[in-house]
Amino acid sequence: MKLRSALAVLSTTALLLAGCAPQDDALLVYSGRSEALIGPLVEQFEQESGIDVEVRYAGSAELAAQLLEEGANSPADVFLAQDAGALGAAAKAGLLSTLPDEIYSLVPQSYSAADKTWVGVSGRARVLVFDPAEVTAVPETIFDLEDGSWEGRIGIAPTNASFQAFVTAMRILHGDERTLEWLEAMKTNAVMYEKNGAILEAVESGQLAAGLINHYYWYARAKDVGQSQMNSRLAQFAGADAGNLVNVAGVGMLDESAEAEEFIKYLLSETGQAYFAQETREYPLVGDVSPADELTPLSDISTPSIDLSDLDTLAETLELIRQAGLI
Amino acid sequence: MQRAPSAAVALGVFAALASLIPIGYLLLRLIDGYESALAELLRPRTLELLLNTALLTISVSLTALAIGALQAWLTVRTNLPFAPLFAVLATLPLAIPSYVLALGYLSVFPWFSGFFAAWLTLSLATAPYVFLALSAALISSNFAAEEVARSLGKSRWQVLLSVTWPQVRPAAFASGLLVALYTLSEFGAIALLRFDTFTRAIYNAYRGSFDRTSAAALALVLVALTLVVIFFDRRYRGQRWQAPTSSGRKRRIDLGNAKVASAFGLAVLGLAGAGVPIASLTGWSLKRQAFDWVRMGELISSSLLVAAAAGIVIGVFALAISIWNLRFTSKLSSAVDLTAWAAHALPAVVVALALVFVGANLVPAIYQTISLLLLAYLILFLPNALGLVGTPIAQVPKSIEEVARSQGLSKNRALSKVVLPIAAPGILAGVALAALTVLKELPATLLLRPNNLDTLATELWQETEVLAYSEAAPYALALIIIAGVPALVLNAQARKLISEVS
Repeated sequence: MKLRSALAVLSTTALLLAGCAPQDDALLVYSGRSEALIGPLVEQFEQESGIDVEVRYAGSAELAAQLLEEGANSPADVFLAQDAGALGAAAKAGLLSTLPDEIYSLVPQSYSAADKTWVGVSGRARVLVFDPAEVTAVPETIFDLEDGSWEGRIGIAPTNASFQAFVTAMRILHGDERTLEWLEAMKTNAVMYEKNGAILEAVESGQLAAGLINHYYWYARAKDVGQSQMNSRLAQFAGADAGNLVNVAGVGMLDESAEAEEFIKYLLSETGQAYFAQETREYPLVGDVSPADELTPLSDISTPSIDLSDLDTLAETLELIRQAGLI
Repeated sequence: MQRAPSAAVALGVFAALASLIPIGYLLLRLIDGYESALAELLRPRTLELLLNTALLTISVSLTALAIGALQAWLTVRTNLPFAPLFAVLATLPLAIPSYVLALGYLSVFPWFSGFFAAWLTLSLATAPYVFLALSAALISSNFAAEEVARSLGKSRWQVLLSVTWPQVRPAAFASGLLVALYTLSEFGAIALLRFDTFTRAIYNAYRGSFDRTSAAALALVLVALTLVVIFFDRRYRGQRWQAPTSSGRKRRIDLGNAKVASAFGLAVLGLAGAGVPIASLTGWSLKRQAFDWVRMGELISSSLLVAAAAGIVIGVFALAISIWNLRFTSKLSSAVDLTAWAAHALPAVVVALALVFVGANLVPAIYQTISLLLLAYLILFLPNALGLVGTPIAQVPKSIEEVARSQGLSKNRALSKVVLPIAAPGILAGVALAALTVLKELPATLLLRPNNLDTLATELWQETEVLAYSEAAPYALALIIIAGVPALVLNAQARKLISEVS
């Protein structure tokens, strides 16, 4: 009986294993950016280059976790992520190959990894979104939000990668002690959200006076409901405030191949950059492509230079955010 | 002692081994860096999360039990008007993923968040599990005994506690266990409603710091919590109750003056659990200008195919384990049954990442294919089907099977000729519940699906990433309608039972 059972276990396993294995030679891209956003651009690339592309869509952090689990056996060729942290995690695990100079040199160094494992593709600015009916005087600096008058009126997303990058910038500009003070003030004043989009939603519906988000969420919503229907407005802080940090979405290569390089070059080409500028209202990072008209030009936003992919810095930032009790 | 059919043993052992994959994976991660794991566990924050989680789990379980029991008792045992309609309303929330329920409320009431919101949403979402189990148990309970007790001068309340409760207790505990583990592992709704639990902390550990060791440490605490919950369940559930042959008419209790109030109460519950979210989603859907029907058709068919395949696979395994453990009980069979439950409170992302690790590195041939996805569903949802499949199989009297064997039928023939036909409705219900749960599943589907497989749930996820309600709403509605099919199968069973009571 034992033998029969063992045989039966084996045959069950074999049956399950015998699923179809679709290992073909298409370029496999793991994309933390959504299909609605990237899909059309990928199709355009396929037509122009004749290269087959398969895309796997999920959250950037989930895909980074997936890449870490897959390790050296990952079927992915390219990792396209919403934020530098996810790319940094893959790079730190040694999963990303060094990019050739002809690609790396296209993007300003401050928007790419110092070790050349990934480059920025598009930029997103941190902004203050506010309800003009509730906020008459826009705060000058991020520290104005510590004031008691903001209690329960400002929304933040402490688990969000862009927010964490902004806190890192604050640490570099003002030191850990001052940053912790600000975070502790936020523990009292701020309402916590999971996502930037939820903060915008709350400000739009009048639940919240203001929030700290990335600029393009506002434009995405304006596209959904019509710009004239938007109740909220965007504002930048004065001067080189940490609250004006510019984050990037970026791309790295897992296996060196001509196809992967061609795909990355396409994202950085004039076509690719113009696509991001117009479709997502993000900041193009390469060459002379100009951002959408209504945006503050990137050159007018002064932000501190930080290594966006430095995970050790990120760990310290997380520790501060935790210490303040925000996550 | 008879030997169990080897096919049942093989399938059972396979399922148990599969359920051990995520736990083994977590231990592996823990060994990788147990110092940082220990530091994570000793943070004051961990205790806070533990309290939050316990508070939510206990309050949701009790509330869901109360709601489900009330719905079941009123529709099955009393002369409530429109009882079948209220039975449908009571099952309907089952078709709504809890994150969609949360979204439905949030898009109407933006202030909806925190403990109260999480408690309400999850209680409404899980009450149908209790309703289904308790209405079935109430139907087959002994009505005559209650009437005897009444005639001996006991009050209605005393009868409920001393006569009815012992009869339905196993069903109440079994469904309460499902609710508790559902709450422990829930992420989507909790995150939207901003209440911190263990599961949310596990997700944050992966997302914020890519810290797999901390995540593993927290997840193992969840496994430990699960084992505690299962221990109490087994300890206090009582024996599986065998239906006595109750003769005589089954008489409904006259509600008298409470009739209108009861109907009103159930209507409010139905409105809260299904009416509000469906209305709000319909509202958002109508705001959408252009709509791609072809895309919708593709998504519906792929969702149905995946869910049906998963339902059948899970049903087969649940049947095998139930036959083995309930009709040929042995130490090994109980161990298999317990193992199937042990991983049930793990967040889907943990199970999915365990299978990513195993799939990519050990069995690349099935990685990112439908086979590995089905294996994930098996690990995640086998317990959902086990309860429904097991109850009728346990209730078939041994004597009937023995008679069949004495007539010269082989063991397997006796099972298939005698036990299976009687248990068929329960098996169908198990398949329906598993398929329905798979339809709603998101995190594991995202991580393990074949590259080109989109389902309604994944599409919904894409749209809600930017909280574009008007884009997301039609898919959410379609998901509810599709999931309504298996929900109605489950409901038809409940109503058939109800109609047997005159």
